Amino acid sequence: MIIISPYSKALRNGKENPKNYPYWEEVLKGIKEPVVQIGIPGEKQLCEDFRVNLSFDELRALLKECRTWIGCDSFFQHMAWREGKKGIVLFSRSDPLIFGHPENVNLLKSRDCLTKFQFIIWEEQEYVPDVYVDPNEVIKALELF
Amino acid sequence: MDSVLCSIGTRGRYDTTLPLALAAIVNQTKIPDKLIIFDDNDEPRDVREELIYKNLFQMMELKNIEWEWVFAHKKGTHWNHQTANIMGYKWVWRMDDDCIPEPHVLRTLLSYAIRKNAGAVGGSILTPPLPKPFKATGKIEKINEEPNIQWGLITKEQQVEHLHCSFVYRAGEYDYNTGLSRVAHREETLFSYGLHQRGFKLYVVPDAITWHLKNPDGGIRSETDESLYIHDEQIFANFMQYRDHTIVVLNCGLGDHIVFSKILPEIKKPLIFSCYPDIVPGHAIAHAERGFGNLDQWNIYLKMSQWEWKGSLENAFRKLYL
Repeated sequence: MIIISPYSKALRNGKENPKNYPYWEEVLKGIKEPVVQIGIPGEKQLCEDFRVNLSFDELRALLKECRTWIGCDSFFQHMAWREGKKGIVLFSRSDPLIFGHPENVNLLKSRDCLTKFQFIIWEEQEYVPDVYVDPNEVIKALELF
Repeated sequence: MDSVLCSIGTRGRYDTTLPLALAAIVNQTKIPDKLIIFDDNDEPRDVREELIYKNLFQMMELKNIEWEWVFAHKKGTHWNHQTANIMGYKWVWRMDDDCIPEPHVLRTLLSYAIRKNAGAVGGSILTPPLPKPFKATGKIEKINEEPNIQWGLITKEQQVEHLHCSFVYRAGEYDYNTGLSRVAHREETLFSYGLHQRGFKLYVVPDAITWHLKNPDGGIRSETDESLYIHDEQIFANFMQYRDHTIVVLNCGLGDHIVFSKILPEIKKPLIFSCYPDIVPGHAIAHAERGFGNLDQWNIYLKMSQWEWKGSLENAFRKLYL
């Protein structure tokens, strides 16, 4: 089983969070095993098994159960790191050298895509469409696990 | 040679002691790279073209001392000193607008600071007539029992835990508490003791006399509202009460709390304020704000920005708390 954590925290100004990966549907087509999506109500459901508002204990239990996980740069990558479960993080504008963990596979299209302002609030960052890794790269990375 | 900024705040002393203080700075045997003057006057006046000031600034230009006159935000001397603290200089010499340093003061303080790899170094701050000789430890636990060691003639080097009024300090290592009121009561004590707590050594040294021309009119702390002093004294008392603890304020996101949790076991006697007590147990952030004033010194994102941080978030927390 693979966990996906597709979305970062909703922004207070209602705009799309620039950390959110836009090609989940393409990625899911390439995964040939059960997938559990985690998130909160209101987020777009991407697969049949969508579990919302899981407690930290439930998330930890799910992490123990899964083969690996894929997520964007959100709290979940940090939680999995603390639990010792390696996974794939889809970076775009935030810097994996600062916010990532070397134990994970941190996918980044190019360092040119990183915002110069790593430490300001994400409401002040624009959503830039062309900064995300190709879904085939994500599938290729999954083969490493 | 390390870069040195001289920072001076002024209020109500355009026509009394400020020009004397500036003249004393210009005539140092070791000159600062830059002098910044924070004008906190209620009714500011542009004195830069007035005869005495114009001459003083021309002298600075002749001596290659960069100078800047800033019409400040009237929020108190701590805000001005914090601005100077993060301007990118290695050392800051903080001065008052009623203080006249003897010509070799900066040279003496700076040479000690560099040689001793110190966090801050101060000399005597003498107000005529001189007090009777006294002994003082310079330890924070004695702050309410003994006169400040800098008020007397310092005859030998001594390590202390806090400094007063004017001293040279290592910039950018600890923040001024901008949560204090406009009077900024205890601001230099909190700041210098914070450097001490961060592991830097503080010294008072001989042969570095600054004369304090006590003047009841004006002054950067000139306020009559007693409640401001009470407010600041309470913040100071809270810092003192928990001085053997490491104050941790996690005013940040869920993921940041999780990353922080990795270094928590290494922190000595943590007193924690947390947004996510499920992840890092602690008191509410509002309590930290009430108890300790401004929380910027614990804002990990502000700190990473100030440090132009390129390393990991985990190591940024280490730098802040270990």
